Amino acid sequence: MSHIVTIQTEVRDRAAVFAACDRLQLPAPVQGTARLFSTEATGVLVQLPRWRYPLVCQTDTGKLAYDNYRGRWGEQQHLDRFLQAYAVEKTRSEARKQGHDVVEQALNDGSIKLTVQVGGAA
Amino acid sequence: MKTIEIVVSPDGTTRIETRGFSGASCQDASRFLEQALGRTTAEQRTAEFHQAVVPQALDQRQTT
Repeated sequence: MSHIVTIQTEVRDRAAVFAACDRLQLPAPVQGTARLFSTEATGVLVQLPRWRYPLVCQTDTGKLAYDNYRGRWGEQQHLDRFLQAYAVEKTRSEARKQGHDVVEQALNDGSIKLTVQVGGAA
Repeated sequence: MKTIEIVVSPDGTTRIETRGFSGASCQDASRFLEQALGRTTAEQRTAEFHQAVVPQALDQRQTT
């Protein structure tokens, strides 16, 4: 190993949002304004399974707007799964742009490992 | 072999590990992913990071 970095995922790429929804077999996201419980938010709207209000991906800032009332209006695991799918699809997309192949592997703890070979001997 | 391993945890947190690089070249290699994915919250450099990159030199042995 040479270098290890931990990243907090920020949702900034519309195409990756669409790809994540497709990967999870969610309805196609739409651009719009959603009314949450006490506010409104504009962005790419993702309907997570059995969530009362849509997840709003504000791709210009990387922030997410949502209201699941601490799990009562939508399970956190669905949001987590979306974020994981987004990070996977975004990684694959960026690696492809650089001309790299990506190998994907599911791990026992629910993580997904992607290996990008950048070529050249060590 | 130089590789970049990306492990995405069930909550979407991502850990990027570069393998097979020497010196600071690993940072250059993974920067495109770090910037694309989000905000760096932690960074750790391993022993290989501090190895100097030795440029390939011509063999200039002198014989007497």
